[in-house]
Amino acid sequence: MSASADSSGNLVPIYGFLSGDSLGLVVLVHENDAVEIVGRRLQQAANVRVASARHFEVHHGGRVLDLRRTVAEAGIAPLDRVDVVRKDE
Amino acid sequence: MLRREEWLDLCRKLDWDYSYVAERDVFPEAVSGHPWLPHEQWKAWDEPFRTSYAEYVTSQHAKDDSVYAVRDAVGRTEHFQRLAPEWRSSLKLHGATLPLAEFAAVVGNLRAARFGRDSAWRTTATFGALDELRHTQIPLLIFHELVRSDPQFDWTHKFYHTNNWIAVAARHLFDEILLTANPIEFAIATNFVFETGFTNLQFVGLAAMANVVGDHMFEKMITSIQTDEARHAQIGPSVLKIVMEHDPEYAQYLSEKWFWRSWLLISIVTGFSMDYLTPLSRRRYSFKEFIEEWVLEQYVAGLEEIGLRKPWYWDTLLQEMDLYHHMVYASAYTYRATAWFDFVVPGPEERHWLRAKYPQHWDEIDAIWEQISSRWEESDPGAEWSVHGATPVGFCALCQLVLCNGTPSHNSAVVVSQNGRKHILCSEPCAWIFRREAERYAEHQDIVHRILAGAAPANVLELTRKYFGLTRETWGRDACGGRYPWLQRIKRLERVG
Repeated sequence: MSASADSSGNLVPIYGFLSGDSLGLVVLVHENDAVEIVGRRLQQAANVRVASARHFEVHHGGRVLDLRRTVAEAGIAPLDRVDVVRKDE
Repeated sequence: MLRREEWLDLCRKLDWDYSYVAERDVFPEAVSGHPWLPHEQWKAWDEPFRTSYAEYVTSQHAKDDSVYAVRDAVGRTEHFQRLAPEWRSSLKLHGATLPLAEFAAVVGNLRAARFGRDSAWRTTATFGALDELRHTQIPLLIFHELVRSDPQFDWTHKFYHTNNWIAVAARHLFDEILLTANPIEFAIATNFVFETGFTNLQFVGLAAMANVVGDHMFEKMITSIQTDEARHAQIGPSVLKIVMEHDPEYAQYLSEKWFWRSWLLISIVTGFSMDYLTPLSRRRYSFKEFIEEWVLEQYVAGLEEIGLRKPWYWDTLLQEMDLYHHMVYASAYTYRATAWFDFVVPGPEERHWLRAKYPQHWDEIDAIWEQISSRWEESDPGAEWSVHGATPVGFCALCQLVLCNGTPSHNSAVVVSQNGRKHILCSEPCAWIFRREAERYAEHQDIVHRILAGAAPANVLELTRKYFGLTRETWGRDACGGRYPWLQRIKRLERVG
């Protein structure tokens, strides 16, 4: 079962970096969104430069996050750096 | 009649003792700069050109005559229209970033003409101010002629008056280095680092490139400007030598700070031009080869001569030469509507050339062009927005440029907290400068903070139109509209046709 976006809760702007991309983007997520949504949204935003991958990890503060946890549960705060590492490479 | 050497110092080096006001009041440290030293310490200040005003005017008049003669011969719209489209983009990029930055340098030089600590320095700075006024007027005049045939050239004058992201970054740099710096920092940052280190040699390289692509107007303009730069840049080492005797760590800091900040902007403007916007058949060397031979070697020799160390981030810089301008160009291509000039996708032959010039990291950059090309293959020719980013990008809290440092597999951006507020910096050197002078930089609102505060639209199209000041007539496009003969889509269409 894949995660879905939850538009309730506060908006959290984050600096997203996708492995293989040439620049950092600003992605807006909700604090109740699953971490998986963060990964998908960043890949979608960077797709003009980097092909999206089905499998990926989301890194934050030196940790690999559980994709099923929410943004708030994972401790992602506004303007944090979040890295999405594609695993299909 | 007096011989030249008998009267020259009476008109260029004439200092006196003050009888009713203290020297510190005539030259307050806040305006004249650190370290504050009595004039006794500055009185040996000298520079090699030792020009008089009469000589200056005569020589500048001849140079202007020469530029205008070339303009009459080959500087008209019809000549410009014969140039390759990508080179025309390079002209628009230089045309916008150069003239009004030079005008800001008039102000920096005039401050030194009043608050420089020795009269010979003040005399040379006066000529420097006149030089920079000339460097403002010549490109404005030459490019203004072209606005009629190409409205993107309107950005030659308009650029610094907009909130375009490149203008925000360029202003952040030039406001500090040119408009507000005291004469000592100006001499080290502008005359020594920016001019001696970069632009003086960059202009030589640009003139050579312009010659090869057949743009003799740009070649003449840049060559003429370079001869002025070579003269007034001599203020830098002369000031730096005296600062080194009294506060060498301050001199070291300023040289490291300004070399990094200058590098980022130069690598975009010149890196784009040399590796992407010069037709492949006319390229003689890569941006990296140019920087290695013309900038790094000379700059390091200049540092050693004065007793300064190489910047602590030297290894980072060497890696950046392989990557930074490539990462910015690929990123900017996918946000080309936010610029005032057109871009091109490097084709197979260009990518082959780039791989040969940048063997260590090109694979990572090439993958991005592969994806961009795939997107064009899936899109109709001319469907610009199908191959364009729609999500806001991040900007460095120091240099205000896009977060394109490090490598595609590991971007080097770092988040720094300052008084409860988070700032993102593109690289360790930018973070180092930011931390050293947080009180100067922390309050500046980058474009992301302006978006979050509601001062700028988050939608990229609205941001482009309403905040960056671009229109359908002026925003950047793919110079070929995505119609590249090597794209599979075009081949398919030809087969169908």
